[in-house]
Parts: sequence; structure tokens; C-alpha cells
Amino acid sequence: MFMKTFEEKWTAWLDGELTGKELVEFEASLPDRAAAEAERLDAKKLGALLKKELGATTFANEEFFSHQLSERMARDDAAEDRHDERSTWWTVPRLVWAGATSLAMFVLFTVVVMRDKNPGEQSQYLSQIMNARVDPALSPNASVTMFESKEDRVTVLWTEGLQSLPSEYAAK
Amino acid sequence: MQREATLAQPDVSEIDLVKRCQAGDSEAFDELVIRYRTRIFGMIYNMVHNEQDAWDLAQDSFVKAWKSIGRFRGKSSFYTWMYRIVMNVTIDWLRKKQIKGAGAEFDDAVQLKEIDPAARTAPRADALPSERMERGELRQKIDKAIAQLSPEHRAVILMKETEDMQYHEIAEALGCSIGTVMSRLFYARKKLQNLLKDVYENV
Repeated sequence: MFMKTFEEKWTAWLDGELTGKELVEFEASLPDRAAAEAERLDAKKLGALLKKELGATTFANEEFFSHQLSERMARDDAAEDRHDERSTWWTVPRLVWAGATSLAMFVLFTVVVMRDKNPGEQSQYLSQIMNARVDPALSPNASVTMFESKEDRVTVLWTEGLQSLPSEYAAK
Repeated sequence: MQREATLAQPDVSEIDLVKRCQAGDSEAFDELVIRYRTRIFGMIYNMVHNEQDAWDLAQDSFVKAWKSIGRFRGKSSFYTWMYRIVMNVTIDWLRKKQIKGAGAEFDDAVQLKEIDPAARTAPRADALPSERMERGELRQKIDKAIAQLSPEHRAVILMKETEDMQYHEIAEALGCSIGTVMSRLFYARKKLQNLLKDVYENV
């Protein structure tokens, strides 16, 4: 045990915990060894007095103490169980509300984003092509088919039997 | 204490009882209570000097121990662990009482200034107590002297002198260093030697 202060060393010396080199050094450092020994005797007397008078504290009604403690513990445990149940009951609706709110926000977000995105996806040229008509007189067997993949943002225009390209199909 | 040991079935090891408590067995906890209730009550009573308060604080301490026994890892003895709870509960209570009360019943700073570490404990000039002094009166004198110590100083000297606890056990129970324990013991002894000199010299 490494002791730094005088108080620590004095206490260890009183209690007989100081040994070896520390003991020799400490005792050599005492200015009045006889006074220190008298002080140590005093401390021992004090210790004996406290032990004799305070160590014999009686505890009446110890059985009632245990009984009361058991009842209190049971009461506390029951109260905690009730609290846990209540907590669970509150948790379920809270979860439902949280889930519903999240879902609603997700749907709202998706609708807003998709509505914003869709108009821009179709190009001006494609609109012109879609609105253009194939002249049956010029191209009686003509057909125009459009394949669109919005995910890949690709539109394929498939034309067959065109005798000439209508002027509206030309990109300006 | 003799009766306590008989009731508590000392053949059942403490660690077994603790394990059963951790599994939720309240009967095992009852056994631990029976083992330690008198010492715990005595320790608290010596700190607060009131039977009803000591009773309530001992109950609070055991309830706290029951609620937190799952966290007991067995690094110290159950008794040392229990003492830590007892000390927390009691010292907190004494501090609150001090705040609510009229003033500084105890003040570490004042105490340290009042005591000269190098001073020889001088015999008091008061008249020596009568040899016919009743035990109750003696106890009152001791209680009055202890009441002048701070809660931490009371705890240290009582654990050392009445419980024979080692420095490291006291340090563990109070959550402080061994050096602090020794230092507090030094000042507590000095103070009590000053206050009780006439008592222990004449009993």
C-alpha cells in the first residue's frame, strides 16, 4: 500500500498496517514518539468504546421488518408489472400510428414526385410524332407503333409501310 | 446474530442465494435479508440515531438491492455490495436532511479547519462523568459526538471500528479511494477523540 500524506501514514500506523521500510521511516519521522504512542493508545480506546457501545445495537421486531419488506417488494413488483402492461398497451397504438403516418407520407411524397417528373419525361418531338397522322392516301399500309419504358426512360417508335415521312415528323 | 445464522441456513452459500435472487427467487432474497438485517439496521441507526428513520432506510436499501441484484457481478462480496447501497441511501438522506434543516450540523471544510492534524488529543477540562452514568447517557454522548461528523466521516469510522471492515472494503462501499478512506478516518478519529476523551478514559 503506497501512502502519500501524513494522515494516511498515521492512520495506517495506528491500525498496525504500516510495515517494513515505511514503518521505520514513519516512526523515525515522529517528533515525539511517546506522545504518538499515547495518541495511538487513545485511538485504540476510542475504537474499543465504539465497538462496545455501538456494535451492540439491538433490532427489535426483526421478523416484522422482513414481513414488511416482503410485502413492499411484492407490491413494487406488481406495480412494475402493471406499468409494463400499460407500456405495452400504449406501444401498440403508437406503433400503428407511426406506421400509418409513415405510409401516408411515403404515398404523398411518391405522388408529388411522380407528378412532377412525368410531364418532363415526354419529349417535345415525341408529342409531335404522337399527334401526327399518317396520311392513308399517301401510305395506305403504314403503321406507327410506340414502345415506351418509363423506368429506363426509353421510347422506341416503330414505323412500317411509310411511303414518305410526313412533314410533321421532322424535327425542327 | 446467533439466531440470524440459524434461521438463514448458513450451509447455503451466499453466492447460491445471490444467483437464485437473480433468477427472481424472492425467498432466497429473504434469506439474505435475515443474514444481514441486524447489521445493516445497526449501521444505519448508528449514522442517523433514530429508530424509525433507520428502519425506513434499511427497508429502502433492501428494496434497492432487490431491484438491482441483476447487476451484481460478484466482484466483491454481497455484503460489501449491499453496504454500498446502504451508504448511498443513508448518506443521501443525511445530506437532504442537512439541506432541509436549520444549518450545518456537519461541514467537512469547517471540520478540517477546526482540527490540527498534529495536535495531541488533550484531556478535556470538563468534569469527568460519574461512574454511575447510565448506559443510555453514555450512548447519548457517543451519538451526539458522531452527529458532529459529516455523513462520510461517520460512515468511515463506523465501518472501521464497529464492523472491522478493511480499508479497501470501505473504499468500495463508499466509492472512493483507499487514501480518502484513511484520510477521513484520521479526521474522524481526531474529532471523536476530542469529543469523547472523557468518556473512554473513564468507562
